[in-house]
Amino acid sequence: MKKVTVQDQSTLEKAKCHAAAIGVAMKESIYPLTATVQYPRQRKKMPDNFRGYILFDPEKCINCWECAFICPANAIRMKEAPNKKYYPTVDYGKCIFCHFCIDSCSGGALRTTKIHDVAYKDMDDMVTLTEEMIEPPEIIREDKTLVEYQIDKKDLQIKKTREVDYLFVDEVPPSVEIPMVSQCIDGASCIGCHVCEQVCESGAISSAIANGVMRMKIDTDTCTGCGLCVKECSMQILKLVRK
Amino acid sequence: MEQVINELLETIMSNQLNVPVLQPILDSVSQLPMVGLIVSFILWKPVFALLICPGLSTVGILLLFFPWIERKLCARIQWRVGPREIVPWLGGLIQLIADTLRFLFQEVIVHRDAHRPYFLQFPFLSFLAALLPLLFLNAGNVMAIETPYAIQALLALVCLFPFFILGLGWASNSRFAFIGTVREAFMYFAYEVSFIIAVLAMIILFGTSNPMLMADKPWGIILNPIAAFTFFVGAAMATSRMPFEIPEADQEVAAGPHVEYSGIAFGLIYVMCYEKAYILAGLMTVLFLGGGSGPVIIAGLGELNGVMWFLIKTVIVLTTLFVLRTIYPRYRLDQGLNIGWGVMISLSLIALALSIVLVQGGVI
Repeated sequence: MKKVTVQDQSTLEKAKCHAAAIGVAMKESIYPLTATVQYPRQRKKMPDNFRGYILFDPEKCINCWECAFICPANAIRMKEAPNKKYYPTVDYGKCIFCHFCIDSCSGGALRTTKIHDVAYKDMDDMVTLTEEMIEPPEIIREDKTLVEYQIDKKDLQIKKTREVDYLFVDEVPPSVEIPMVSQCIDGASCIGCHVCEQVCESGAISSAIANGVMRMKIDTDTCTGCGLCVKECSMQILKLVRK
Repeated sequence: MEQVINELLETIMSNQLNVPVLQPILDSVSQLPMVGLIVSFILWKPVFALLICPGLSTVGILLLFFPWIERKLCARIQWRVGPREIVPWLGGLIQLIADTLRFLFQEVIVHRDAHRPYFLQFPFLSFLAALLPLLFLNAGNVMAIETPYAIQALLALVCLFPFFILGLGWASNSRFAFIGTVREAFMYFAYEVSFIIAVLAMIILFGTSNPMLMADKPWGIILNPIAAFTFFVGAAMATSRMPFEIPEADQEVAAGPHVEYSGIAFGLIYVMCYEKAYILAGLMTVLFLGGGSGPVIIAGLGELNGVMWFLIKTVIVLTTLFVLRTIYPRYRLDQGLNIGWGVMISLSLIALALSIVLVQGGVI
């Protein structure tokens, strides 16, 4: 058994430690480093890729359902819009703010904001409909000071500036896009159900009958690599590969 | 009858507080029939000591604002902000007034197992006991009861506090209160002996126990720093402040003896700790920091100089006592007892020996 023992210190060393502790207290009482962020009046500066409230742009949505598929908390549901397209709705009662949906969105329709303080009246209100996600929620800004924590190797520095933080991220941080394209890996197994052709947004898939056998043809130039056909293929013989 | 009144008036008028700045105002006020009598009664030194300083008014103002100072200062040291939301432009200065109002309007709950009469009596009795030592505390030349045994009487009354805390715990009849009470009793015996010996060392050193005469001597903290240190640690133990907050340990026994109290009864117990600290800081000022003597004497203030310097020194001692809680964590009960019965007693005996050597050597 290991026994934890008190470090053996001489009286002089102990006195030194006491003096150091009292010195720190005196220093801090004269030049304090206040770490508190007085929230409604002050706001902490958030990084640009902060995972906050999610905004949605229907113009860029390609209806691929990828966000709903990838959501680990099952918070995203697709609802049919008047234009017969399916757009996401987010249930913030379930959302865990992992932002997999934003990462997986191939059209860039979903984007993040630095808003982290949205209040709801009840659980039903937390289901945010598509039309509510287009415009940012109404915020009453009381903050006048921006607090920034700068963690040095030595110590914590706190910078306070009198400005109002801009809560939206206009430019999505550039990410290296890997161009993908859909490809049929086992043409012999195709049952010719035409699902991939119907589901394709960009019309890259066409069918042709050759030698009495139905064959699907994928145009690599128009294919956006959204992966919708891969998801829907009933024989699971389509695969996304690098262009 | 008339003779008695005349004698009384003579006694009052012969022992007035001398303040040259206020003299013209007092002269004009004394022409008025009733007001003049009341003013001269208040300025009668013993009454002044009781009502103004170091008595009731000072205690009241300190109780209202000192906890705020303590909380603000501790917050600064711990990188926090402290009370702020009530009157933000004053930095939450009247926080304690708001707290008092809240305590006043809260119901005092007496639970079923409590010993009802004692449960309700002890907070008020203990507040009274905490006020009594002020009779023997002097601020400069102002003192309520002048006696050559003032320090001893003060010490005896100070030693009365823990009995009321024991009473609080006993009347509460709850397990946390019992544990806290037993801890209080243990700590009481641990600090009391060395604390009294440290005061005894100073009485031997000065050759008098009249605090008025002590002000003329050199500062006790320079003559006998060991006694000063022992007294200071003893004061921290007696007020159960942070390094020795053993009876009230929030995380272990909720609030110790105070756990069952609510409303104004809790408010009284809460401020009693500050009152006790104020009296011990005052005693420390008298014994070790030269009482009402100060480096700067403002001629216009007359005898108020002593009062002013006494207050300044007391507030400094109080602040030092309360800032300890940001520096040290709490000791365990056995460590506290070890310090009390081991280090503190040895130090106080050394201080006593030092005093005797100094007196025999003819230093003072």
